[in-house]
Amino acid sequence: MAQHEIPTSRSADPWAAFGRLVAGVAIYGSVGWAGDRWLGTWFLLPVGIVFGAALGLWTTFAALRQQ
Amino acid sequence: MIRADVSRAEGFTPPGPGDFDLQPLFGDSYAFAKPGLQLILAGVLVFGFFAVTSRRAAMVPSKAQFAGEQAYGFVRNSIARDIIGSHDFMKFVPYLVSLFFFLLINNVFGLVPFIQFPSFAKASFAYGLAALTWILYNGVGVWKHGLFGYIKHQSVPPGVNGPILLLIVPLEFISNLLVRPVTLALRLFANMFAGHLLLVLFTLGGEYLLLEADQVLYKPVGVVALLLAIAISFLELLVQFLQAYVFTLLTAMYVQGALAEEH
Repeated sequence: MAQHEIPTSRSADPWAAFGRLVAGVAIYGSVGWAGDRWLGTWFLLPVGIVFGAALGLWTTFAALRQQ
Repeated sequence: MIRADVSRAEGFTPPGPGDFDLQPLFGDSYAFAKPGLQLILAGVLVFGFFAVTSRRAAMVPSKAQFAGEQAYGFVRNSIARDIIGSHDFMKFVPYLVSLFFFLLINNVFGLVPFIQFPSFAKASFAYGLAALTWILYNGVGVWKHGLFGYIKHQSVPPGVNGPILLLIVPLEFISNLLVRPVTLALRLFANMFAGHLLLVLFTLGGEYLLLEADQVLYKPVGVVALLLAIAISFLELLVQFLQAYVFTLLTAMYVQGALAEEH
């Protein structure tokens, strides 16, 4: 725990949580959509969206825990 | 269907996005209409205000100088210094002060008689302003950390280690470099757009109910609608100030985030 730095974090932006959620859904949703097109399946898009949202939430928690 | 019903019953055309397409001032080009003129006017007003209030600066300030210094000091102290920190903030004060008052005047144009259109209800203007902020904070970050250092800085969130970084890095990169400017612009645009639409609806609807509807019973409803329009005007004044403040505050936060040291 080398926490001797000044606590000026770079995640002071309150909209970071929103950005991470949107970015997670957009990226992994697109990956899922592309996977569906490629493999001819239907379930990868919803899985990707939920996975992206979960990842966005997780990143937000991780970044906040750090502060 | 709905449209047909309304026009049969009332003859009242509800306001919509079409009300934001203003007539071009010169020729047929929609590139320059009233909102464009307002941007220029706001720029002239901001420049004029600070030029006049700071021209003959004296140790014992005149009333005008005092007003100018209060306005400048508000953004300098409560936005720039509080967010960016006392080490670096002075470099960004000129941009932040101009940005805040430019936004404030353009937003308040939504309530100024005979203008009555918030310039940033045109989405393209909001995107242009957000692009300026985007260039600023990314430029500052690249200048501070170097190109690759800055990309790493914006892509690796604090408190995340190990193989999960492979999944997080694209997410964080998109979030910090693409989602940010879009939400910044959308927040401003949507607030101004919705506020103007609301005011148009209540005033035109009230006017119609009061003066043009056949039913006598509608007239008091029209009076209520017009009174509500006045109440909403005060609410809008608050929103206009708040949106100028939030835009400037977030710009300062993004600059601070780009400047922050590595953990």
